Amino acid sequence: MLKVTDLKKVYPKSDRVAVDGISFELRPGEIFGFLGQNGAGKSTTIKCLTGILPFDGGSIEVCGYDIQRDPIKAKMNMGYVPDNHSVYEKLTGREYVNYIADIYRVSKADRDARLDKYVELFKLGFAIDKQIKSYSHGMKQKICIIAALIHEPKLWVLDEPMMGLDPQSTAEIIAYMREHCAKGNTVFFSSHNLDLVKRLCHRVAIVNEGHLIDCFDLVGNEENKANLEERFFKITGTYEKRLFEDYVAQEQAEMRPDLPVDDGANGAEGGEI
Amino acid sequence: MNDKISWLSVRSLLRLEMRARFGSKVEVPVGKRVVKGLGIVFSLVIYALLVTGIYFLAALFIERSDMPFEFLVLAMTFVIVLTTLVAIGNVVKNLYMSGDNELLLRFPVSGKEILISKSIYCFIHNVVINLLLFVPVCVIYGVVTSAPVGYYFVAIAVILLAIPLPYAIANLLAIPVMMVMNLVKNQFLLVLIFLIAAICGVFILYMTALGGVLDYMRDESAGMFSESVMEMYRNITGAAYPFRWYALLLGGWFVGHSALEAGLSFLFIFLITAALGVGAYFVTTRTYYKIILTGIETEKASFKKNIPNITRSVFGTLLHREFFLILRSFNYSFQYLAMAFAAPVMVYYCNDLAATMGRNTLGAAIVPGLTLMVIVIFSSIIVSFAATSISREDNAFYHTKIIPVSYTTQVLAKLLLYGAVGTASVVLSTVVVAAAFSSGDGLEMLNSLDIGCIFIISEMLTLALTCLAIAADVKSPTFNVSGDGEMVSANKNMVLALVVGMAIAALFGVFTMVFSFLPLTIGDATIIPIGERNNIYAILGVLSALILAGSVAALFVGLEKRYQRIAP
Repeated sequence: MLKVTDLKKVYPKSDRVAVDGISFELRPGEIFGFLGQNGAGKSTTIKCLTGILPFDGGSIEVCGYDIQRDPIKAKMNMGYVPDNHSVYEKLTGREYVNYIADIYRVSKADRDARLDKYVELFKLGFAIDKQIKSYSHGMKQKICIIAALIHEPKLWVLDEPMMGLDPQSTAEIIAYMREHCAKGNTVFFSSHNLDLVKRLCHRVAIVNEGHLIDCFDLVGNEENKANLEERFFKITGTYEKRLFEDYVAQEQAEMRPDLPVDDGANGAEGGEI
Repeated sequence: MNDKISWLSVRSLLRLEMRARFGSKVEVPVGKRVVKGLGIVFSLVIYALLVTGIYFLAALFIERSDMPFEFLVLAMTFVIVLTTLVAIGNVVKNLYMSGDNELLLRFPVSGKEILISKSIYCFIHNVVINLLLFVPVCVIYGVVTSAPVGYYFVAIAVILLAIPLPYAIANLLAIPVMMVMNLVKNQFLLVLIFLIAAICGVFILYMTALGGVLDYMRDESAGMFSESVMEMYRNITGAAYPFRWYALLLGGWFVGHSALEAGLSFLFIFLITAALGVGAYFVTTRTYYKIILTGIETEKASFKKNIPNITRSVFGTLLHREFFLILRSFNYSFQYLAMAFAAPVMVYYCNDLAATMGRNTLGAAIVPGLTLMVIVIFSSIIVSFAATSISREDNAFYHTKIIPVSYTTQVLAKLLLYGAVGTASVVLSTVVVAAAFSSGDGLEMLNSLDIGCIFIISEMLTLALTCLAIAADVKSPTFNVSGDGEMVSANKNMVLALVVGMAIAALFGVFTMVFSFLPLTIGDATIIPIGERNNIYAILGVLSALILAGSVAALFVGLEKRYQRIAP
């Protein structure tokens, strides 16, 4: 579905290699989490694979189409939700979605059905015919998601998708991600929310300073699931025993009130790294 | 609103304003410093040229007419009207439309402190503009009339007395302007129609007045300094209050006016300035906070448009989006659509005036060249807007990269829209000019060959300039919008497109005019015999076609790679 091979990106007038030799492959029907600290190279990788940024080495294939050699076909199979949810604010929500649907050649019958479904799903019926500039942060995020899904892409790419969304909408998106994958499509998203990634993703990749450090399964591997936070903190060089124990305890108390707080913090090993 | 004013907050806000405008202490790269330096030098040269022009005009007028006082009244009128117009623009832009009011109100500062800091900046701006205009005019007048030393001391006092007036008027007028602007938000078509009517109205008024003066001078067959024209100057300057009071105070006393007149003038000026100043203070302090809050509250005010889902072709939807993003913006509607549709009116009046003057002095053969030049000048102004076609995408630029449409198609859609608007403007201009100058009333100064060739050449140049403008923006877009997500100021590409357009218009126009009177020979071969405009059009037609071909190539050759390199 998505194949990134030895991706390299250096920004103009910069000595730093933003992405250095990243390779991974996404399978049909999986939700893939992309983790890393701020500035690790997540957004740069996403911008390269969506065609926003040119890159200096490697290759990216979407559904078998090379993003550089065959960009139109590659982009046709992709839907992208940016982290800043910038849209054409002078258009109404419906005009914007229609514009995107025209671009992806979605038939009238399909767009009618899908738009009705998504507007209902994201509770945007009261605002769909208003100018987007009147939308709140979360509403803009929702219209971006609707526009990204209007052509039912095989690969759905989301950059920090849950930021600014209300709990209801977050739950709806999670449910829809699963539904989308159940149809054999793939979801690729970046996030800082480790708990969400743990609950949602089949696989994750952790990047640090432009390098892909680790890529592993979560589904069917309870050990990986349990150790996700520790691996993330160690890989990103932010592991500190006391901090980590606090994080796990807090997570257990807040997110899993049904579980007792484990003082051993999943066997976390001490020492600062 | 808190009545206590913290002058420390005012100082901090003012410093913030100054740094935002004139740059921080961060080191600027050499290249940018050189560009900035060249810009300053260019501005100084233009200013020096203007001052020199004023000097020669003053010397000519005063020497020929022997009416120094009347000249001073006219000069004061010009300076005070100009400084007032600049001040209104400055106050509206900085006090109400700067886009940072919401941000500043989040800080622990009151609306009054924001008003004071911004007002100080506006007042400093007003002082600088006043000095730049008043000082040269006063000095030139003193030099030309060999005024006594005392005149220069009086001039300093008059300048200081004159500075608050434009600022007070600007503050009073800015409030109704902003109220109207808040009221007509989202009335895009209405605003566009109003803008077109306003531009045409002001232009027609101006050109009619100018034409009237020229007709008067011609009818009197007397020129600028005949007795009847002198009488007209005397009548106008005799009634030009309050500007006459400034002239009386400044220079009336050494050209025969009494001290009483000067004293009364001072009193009137003082009373008017004080009344307007006090009025502006009370009105502004009482309404500013409310107006900016209304502006912030209605910033997100939007319209609702219930439409069914409509299916369009890819190209059609790109065109539709581009057009509505322009139409639904006051700035863009004014800069582009209003100018495009008002252009034929401007072309007609400019051409009418220039042709009348040119025909009287040089002969009717000048008219085709003038027409070509005027049409291309206005086309350049319109199509220079295309030089922001990529920059205006700003935060939404990523859309152009992720959609499955080639960059060539996307740019072609923009080109088609701008080309169509430019073409409509050229067609209307040509039709208007043809109707006016090829009929019996127009003394048949343009024949059908002239009209056809002028249209073809203008159209090719319009399309070429559109291509060049878009190509310049693809090469180096400036993603820097403000306020409502719009580019308020022109970017460097727009200025470049405008300069290139003007240069081409001048070259083509002058070429046509000159070789309508003179032959063009190379060696023994006569390329253009006298009066053979067919040859002129053939040469310019070929040149235009070459420029168009070059521009299309400059835009589209390697476009996919160049566009892909743009990183927002």
